[in-house]
Amino acid sequence: MDILSTYYNLIPVSLAQGAVYAFVAIGVMIPFRLLSLPDLTAEGSFPLGAAVAAALLANGMGIMPAMGLALLAGALAGALTAVIHVFFKVTSLLAGIIVLTMMFSINIRVMGKPNTALFSHDTLFTILLNADGGAPITQFAVLSVMLAALCLLLYWFLHTELGLALRAVGSNQTMARAQGLSTTLYIIAGLAGAGALAALGGSVMAQYQSYADVNMGVGVLVIGLAATILGEAILGGSTLARQILAPVVGSLLYFQFVAIALSLGFKPSDLKLLTGLFVLFALALPMIRSKFKRNPSR
Amino acid sequence: MTAAAKQAGVIVSGLQKTFFPGTVQEKRALDGVSFSLAPGEFAIVIGSNGAGKSTMLNAISGEVQVDEGTISIAGKAIEQWPTHKRAGYISRVFQDPMQGTAASLTIEENLAISARRGKRRSFRTGLHAAEREEFRSALEPLGLGLENRLKDRVSLLSGGQRQSLTLIMATLQAPQLLLLDEHTAALDPRAADMVIRSTLSAVEDRQITTLMITHNMEQAIAHGDRLLMMHEGRVVLDLAKDEKAKLTTADLVTRFHDVVSDRMLLS
Ligand SMILES: Nc1ncnc2c1ncn2[C@@H]1O[C@H](COP(=O)(O)OP(=O)(O)OP(=O)(O)O)[C@@H](O)[C@H]1O
Ligand SMILES: [Mg+2]
Repeated sequence: MDILSTYYNLIPVSLAQGAVYAFVAIGVMIPFRLLSLPDLTAEGSFPLGAAVAAALLANGMGIMPAMGLALLAGALAGALTAVIHVFFKVTSLLAGIIVLTMMFSINIRVMGKPNTALFSHDTLFTILLNADGGAPITQFAVLSVMLAALCLLLYWFLHTELGLALRAVGSNQTMARAQGLSTTLYIIAGLAGAGALAALGGSVMAQYQSYADVNMGVGVLVIGLAATILGEAILGGSTLARQILAPVVGSLLYFQFVAIALSLGFKPSDLKLLTGLFVLFALALPMIRSKFKRNPSR
Repeated sequence: MTAAAKQAGVIVSGLQKTFFPGTVQEKRALDGVSFSLAPGEFAIVIGSNGAGKSTMLNAISGEVQVDEGTISIAGKAIEQWPTHKRAGYISRVFQDPMQGTAASLTIEENLAISARRGKRRSFRTGLHAAEREEFRSALEPLGLGLENRLKDRVSLLSGGQRQSLTLIMATLQAPQLLLLDEHTAALDPRAADMVIRSTLSAVEDRQITTLMITHNMEQAIAHGDRLLMMHEGRVVLDLAKDEKAKLTTADLVTRFHDVVSDRMLLS
């Protein structure tokens, strides 16, 4: 009973949190699923977006321009990973690790210190809701509208000539080149887009918690992956619409599981272990299934 | 053939390619490949394994960077261009049915991408409703029913169906040069036969300049306007249509052995 009421009280906050992380989850889904390029840059571009937005807001810049510049910074980080990958033939994973490592120093440079508080500054939430940032459920409503707009935009883009071409590059690079597509340019643009979304997520997070910290990216990639996998399990990734919605739905669901785990008495510091185990389980599932299929007697 | 007509076709001259130069694995795959094709000419390429046929096609398409030599199509020197730029002039069907299509996209999306090969892509919609009719009538002659499955993902298709789709994609807009690398080798005999028939109808009806690699001697004799035989990175035999018409399979094998042993004696 106690567990249930604890969880019940956590629902609004966990929905809002899930919605905040949904942005970066989309930014993780794009390289992994649409481009077939495993990319870890989100761990660096998410805090980069937070750092840029926080530093600019703390300096009195407006919310829209601050978020716009955060987005741009994230796009540059993503593009850098892509350039390292395509021009120097470094695997995308390693390229991302190099960039996210460099981002740590850059993020501290951007803020001038390891963290920035925004408690006395206006944010998206204080402007749209009220001075204390609004109740979790209204925050969730605002974020849902933003996410819906983002998903629609992505859905539209992926049906344009350029978007279709991007998906072709993600599906088969030999075919794409033979059809006149510069795989180099599309990979750079695709990872830049993913980086922009991760940074947008970071800038929303900084405003949501009125605080940016250089370490806030740690674990964000696995959360994004967990969200994507969860969402695909619920929706299936079989159509483009479902593939786009999967990280969003998955992120909302993921934070429900987090709330349940916390209600059950797990410590917040246990969550990374649990998330890692979940992703491991999801990745191992096809293997486990085929083992069982091959040995039905067991 | 007039000089102007020749200019409009394909001229390949002195292609050289050595893989892993200066190492123990050094392999000279192309050793001065030269030939030219008149517009609309359909050339069959034969030669033993490792003769350099695929490497030559990859060099023309841009997937392999040559060490030396020039390639011109419709009067443009393209040897310095990246693959995707050459795709404005060249289209191709690969030996591996998996390589020619994007599996996670639908049939109509694949066709829409190739319908825009060589054109500038923008934020316009990637697939117009009006194009579907065009795609249907392009797919219908295959007799595979693909025209009724436009919204199916290509990953659902068999190898033969994918290869047929790739062929339609390659010829939807007539290219200046069509490259076919043993494109029926991975198919069962029935599918291979069907793909060959659609190839011939596309190439011959529409007079597309074509290079087709095959190991099938009957095909090599029965079809095409030219026969190029490759050996050790060179074109060692180049027969025009009338000479080719007199050949039998046995002749071809004899000619091949003659050429090979002549070269061995010379070297
Ligand atoms: N990417 C590559 N790297 C190294 N060597 C290569 C490469 N591609 C081809 N070769 C070598 O170049 C030579 C010519 O190969 P190629 O594939 O062009 O022959 P082919 O005539 O197409 O033969 P097949 O009839 O077997 O397809 C072979 O010795 C091959 O091992
Ligand atoms: Mg070959």
